[in-house]
Amino acid sequence: MSKHMLDGVDKEILNIIQGGFPLKAEPYDELGGRVGVSGDEALSRVRRLVEAGVVRKVGPFFDARKMGSSSTLCAAHVPEERIEHVASVINSRPEVTHNYQRDGVPNLWFTVIASSKEAICEVVSDIRERAGIDRVHNLPAKKMFKVKVDLKVE
Amino acid sequence: MISDPRDIALVRVLQVEGLFLTARPFHGAALRLGWSVDEVLERSALLLDRGVIRRFGAALTPGNAGFRNNAMVVWDVDDKDAERAGAALAGHPRVSHCYIRPRFEGFPFNLYTMVHGNSDEDLEAVMAELAESAGACRWKALHTLREFKKSSPSYFMNYWPELAGSSKA
Repeated sequence: MSKHMLDGVDKEILNIIQGGFPLKAEPYDELGGRVGVSGDEALSRVRRLVEAGVVRKVGPFFDARKMGSSSTLCAAHVPEERIEHVASVINSRPEVTHNYQRDGVPNLWFTVIASSKEAICEVVSDIRERAGIDRVHNLPAKKMFKVKVDLKVE
Repeated sequence: MISDPRDIALVRVLQVEGLFLTARPFHGAALRLGWSVDEVLERSALLLDRGVIRRFGAALTPGNAGFRNNAMVVWDVDDKDAERAGAALAGHPRVSHCYIRPRFEGFPFNLYTMVHGNSDEDLEAVMAELAESAGACRWKALHTLREFKKSSPSYFMNYWPELAGSSKA
């Protein structure tokens, strides 16, 4: 589903619920009221946006550090012919939440969230051993300015 | 940090797959917890105020919402200027993530951003605007070639809410 298949109501809904899902007993009635449709229609539109892959998730987003967890970004450089194998080893750890191949060197970038820095080190060394990669750069944030995918849909 | 068993129980239940795609998600949570809907709403609002929950809402798949051209853009900014430059980059509406991270051998960049555009030209234009406000001596766009994994983390999933749901704290 491309942006062109979203009508005006869908776009309004997306722009509202990215920033704030109503913290109300009947949130879809509230949402529908704001865009001029019934609560049932608001819910079925959001479901459709999820099924179409426009919306990845609806719900709470937690601050990993305030939950007492540690998080980091890791980078490794892997030859193209081994990258799928290495990526599958990386993905096998539930603590890994994102894993992308990007252009340039290093070419494999993944994020890890675990209960402590030590737990992250354990995940990284397990990946290094099982994937047979020499070096993984562990790059924890020294400062976070922003984590918010809130893109105005026009 | 959260440590109250009732908060932990609430966090577990709010993560239930598909809960927020039902007409009354907070009722659903209240039923699972054996709490009143009001308590679920009040505690959720408190976790939001404390920033434990950054937000309730929807995460878009940027590519499917019309933002098909995305890059991780990294910046080499003087360490003394990194706080200012980071705040300036984070202030741009097309930047979704912005962090200071350590430099490493062969990779002299210390600011990391995720930048979103709706075409190649649009992404280039946004990056040019950002370069101006960052005042970086060099920067690099790392385009995504393949997505191997994208998921949300789960918290406290080895914790049993039944233990916290029996009495009001």
